[in-house]
Amino acid sequence: MRDTNLGRRGFLGGASALTAAGWVGTIAGGLVLRPTWAHAAGPIKMGIATDITGAIAPSGNANWQVAQFVVEEINKAGGILGQPIELYLEDTASDPKVAVGNVRKLIQDRKVDVVLGGITSAMRQAIKDPIVNRGRTLYIYPQLYEGQECTKYLFNTGPSPAQQCDRLIPYLIKTLGKKKFAMPSANYVWPQLLNKYARKVIEANGGEVVFEEYYPLDQAEYSATIRKITAGKVDCVFNTVIPPGLQPFVKQLYESGFQKNGGVLSCVYYDENLLNYHPAQEMEGLVSCLDYFQAVDDPFSKTLQEGYAKKFPGTKYLFTAGSAATGMYRGVKFYEAAVKATGGKLGREEVAAAMDKAVLPNGPGGGAEMVPGRYHAKMNMYIAVCKNDGGKTRYEVIDKTSMVDPREC
Amino acid sequence: MNVATRTTNMKTSSARRTRLLRVLPAIELVMLALLVATPLVLSGRPELITLMTNIVILSLLAVSFDLCWGFSGIMSFGQALFFGVAGYVVALVGRDLEFSQLWATLPLAMLVGGLLSSGMAAFLLLGKKTPTAIFVALGTLTGSYAAERLVAGWQYVGAGNGLSAIKLMTLGSYEFVEGVEFYSVALSSLVIVYLASRVLVRSQMGLVLAGIRQNEERLAFFGYRVQVYKALVFSFAGSIAGLSGALYSYHQGFTGPSNMGPGLSTTAVIYSLFGGSGTLIGPVIGTIAIELLSYVLADTDAIRQFWPVILGIVLLVVVMFQPTGLLGLVVSARERIGSYGIRKGPR
Amino acid sequence: MDFAIKFVFDIVAFTSVMVLIVLGLGVIASMMGIFNFAHGELVLLGAYTVYLSDAYGLGTWPGVIAAPFVVGLIGLALERTVIRRFYKAPIIAMLGTYAVGLIIREIVRGLLGGHYKSIPEPISGAFAIGGLEFSWWRSFIIVTTLLVIAGSWLLLARSLIGLRVRGALENPMLARACGISTGRLYALTFAFGAALAGLAGALIVPLYQLSADIGIRFLVQAFLSVMLGGVGTFGGPVLGASAVGGMAAGLPWVVLPVLADPLVFIIALVVVRMRPQGFIGAGRL
Repeated sequence: MRDTNLGRRGFLGGASALTAAGWVGTIAGGLVLRPTWAHAAGPIKMGIATDITGAIAPSGNANWQVAQFVVEEINKAGGILGQPIELYLEDTASDPKVAVGNVRKLIQDRKVDVVLGGITSAMRQAIKDPIVNRGRTLYIYPQLYEGQECTKYLFNTGPSPAQQCDRLIPYLIKTLGKKKFAMPSANYVWPQLLNKYARKVIEANGGEVVFEEYYPLDQAEYSATIRKITAGKVDCVFNTVIPPGLQPFVKQLYESGFQKNGGVLSCVYYDENLLNYHPAQEMEGLVSCLDYFQAVDDPFSKTLQEGYAKKFPGTKYLFTAGSAATGMYRGVKFYEAAVKATGGKLGREEVAAAMDKAVLPNGPGGGAEMVPGRYHAKMNMYIAVCKNDGGKTRYEVIDKTSMVDPREC
Repeated sequence: MNVATRTTNMKTSSARRTRLLRVLPAIELVMLALLVATPLVLSGRPELITLMTNIVILSLLAVSFDLCWGFSGIMSFGQALFFGVAGYVVALVGRDLEFSQLWATLPLAMLVGGLLSSGMAAFLLLGKKTPTAIFVALGTLTGSYAAERLVAGWQYVGAGNGLSAIKLMTLGSYEFVEGVEFYSVALSSLVIVYLASRVLVRSQMGLVLAGIRQNEERLAFFGYRVQVYKALVFSFAGSIAGLSGALYSYHQGFTGPSNMGPGLSTTAVIYSLFGGSGTLIGPVIGTIAIELLSYVLADTDAIRQFWPVILGIVLLVVVMFQPTGLLGLVVSARERIGSYGIRKGPR
Repeated sequence: MDFAIKFVFDIVAFTSVMVLIVLGLGVIASMMGIFNFAHGELVLLGAYTVYLSDAYGLGTWPGVIAAPFVVGLIGLALERTVIRRFYKAPIIAMLGTYAVGLIIREIVRGLLGGHYKSIPEPISGAFAIGGLEFSWWRSFIIVTTLLVIAGSWLLLARSLIGLRVRGALENPMLARACGISTGRLYALTFAFGAALAGLAGALIVPLYQLSADIGIRFLVQAFLSVMLGGVGTFGGPVLGASAVGGMAAGLPWVVLPVLADPLVFIIALVVVRMRPQGFIGAGRL
């Protein structure tokens, strides 16, 4: 039963105003955004389930804003084949337990046609069952992750380990000359599987993994880890610790003089958003590999950034790759392409079949192509190093590889 | 004069003087009627049936807490431990043994909850040195907290991810998804558990518990092994919490470390105290009231921020001013003390 | 040798944090016999004060200095209005203080917008002695903790008010009979405990990010520390905190970090069960 009563929700033009006022930043009750024009053909309902509050909020808010931006662009151009997109937001609050309940609302209450979201793999694992199995709805997962997600009706639009590590690790070993790796990790599925893959690549390129350790997500004391790094003469830390344990770790690593002694910190989810959460000196020299950096010289990407900045002026949530924002862009655009290909039909089967072959000519960092039958997409990958310009950090892109194959499924 | 006759005499004498207003049975019947009627009333709104099913399952947890605190004076800050562990066990059985027949897994959950709680009771309550009430409370809290952190680090059970895509509960070849059927299973469980608990607390054993509540030391001097009684009730309550946890896992399709942590444990405390602890129906009412309010307020963005604050204020007000909870407003103190067992001796 | 020095420094640094937090809790538990479930939130308020001072452009130092006073006053207000009703029933006190803690925590969560905030250290960076790097701020924490312990001990052992406090601790009835206002002493003690918590929060927040949940992170460990060390004396909580803090920092060296975490609790709980009065058993529990 569709609830057409807008009474309690209303339209909200700029979520940036909301997020700026600290109180209302926690949009925990669910949110609806409708285009200003109604249409007889009925809107397409798109559900966004992401972390607006909690430890992952910096990324969650970024990809929510990007979703609003892209959908607004699509609706301005007339929607998808004349049908506007209605956005429904549910806050997964960086807590899988809360997320399951809220995602269920999207499916049962709102009856959305597609769900995009989930950032950490823990979140994805928690919400994919209510969405894909019990909810029988299409699910697009927009974030970089550990791979091996080959569930039908679940499309991944973020980079896979192969896309991130295959060029990055040889760069670290051969070009930067770092051979001894440490893998401090958060204790959940993404670091575990990513480390397995990375270890293979490291050893294949002549490097050595000195230790691989897992910590609770909120671990605050890393003295034992730092000692192991110093004692083992580690020169490259391949970090998969995530917030909230991340900031203490990076700080303690820096204070131990690791970077001063020539050590390199490498982290494959670090983007411009995350740079803001550390003092500049701790970030200098960090190496990351993502599908997009703002420093990438690509006119389409620059137009995107300008449009985004116009919609969300002065926002601290940047349109970046580590925050699932680029994956969200791709996800929405792939969905648009798929629905156009089905001629406006929204059934899960047809859209999934069309999305399987979808191609995006343009996007942040370049276009992307879904690999048929593999639920993953080819995209451009860039390696970048963080530079510290007198207290302000920025990335400098040093390598580009086009249309890298995800090598999944 | 044994305690039973004294109670009888009190009853008949007060019955001669004033009619003892028995409110509790009436409330229980009304609640039962409402809960049975719910699926009929809500037939067009599946999300509300899902909500009510969750409420019924959580009220089982609240009842389990009430058995500890309201009836035996054990402040258990860790009821969710048994809830969570049982939830994990059924999820693992579903994942590794591909088995989810409810006639086996639900009793298994109760067994797991019961064993774990007896173990905990043995450690905390039994032994040469009688523990202080504070130690028991902190012990349960620590158990719940340590378990949460242990599970959050254990890869086999999904670590911080928890276990998702839990195999659906089955009966024969029928699979239970969210809906009226699951609601019936949950409600039946609640009714059975409630009746069992009711029989327990109104029996002679319940009388001993009443004595423990009033004056533990005195009862110990009578020769009753107070800690053993407490341990027994704690184990029974633990098995109920286990049942609740299993149903929750099956219903939600997901269980995580937070399902066994102090957060959920203290939520059960709030449900119970708000409704009125020491009366089995109070926690059920408390759960329904708080969860419904929470659902309704979730729609109003402005209040959603404040909801946990409101919950905290509610708890504080209850603890400070109305320790008997909602039911305390209608149930007399005399009725709260209750009547026990089969009367022996002259009527 | 280097290794040993750094090892000891790290353990001492972490333990100092624990000691500061536990001292406030222990003082309240010893004096009034209640375990203040809101203690973690008092730590949070101390941290939040520093965040506010930084967010309003005053830098972090004013926040660090103001935190103990601000939180001490809040503690005093709480005691006068809410806490004093609970002295007769310690279990109810746990519930009531839990409610207070919940309220404070969720208000702060709302104010923070559910986000995690990084606070820069007032003294950042590290200094080197003989090739080993020591963090400035952690050293500051160690020094401050030692000063606080020394100062509190002096206050307790050498001042008039300390004498009154010790009297009320030993025998409240007799103290009252001698004309000592135990009510006022309790209020002061609670305020003092709160101030210590506020100071602890202000000192630790540059190390661990600010979020509404930093209080409960330490709460269970703090409770166990108090029980382990023994309630009723000054040295008890300090000893307990050292034991728990030392275990928490030291165990990850010998077992897997994910196992070390719950192990600390289990060991502490078992020890308390076997020796309920704690290491220094003098007091009321």
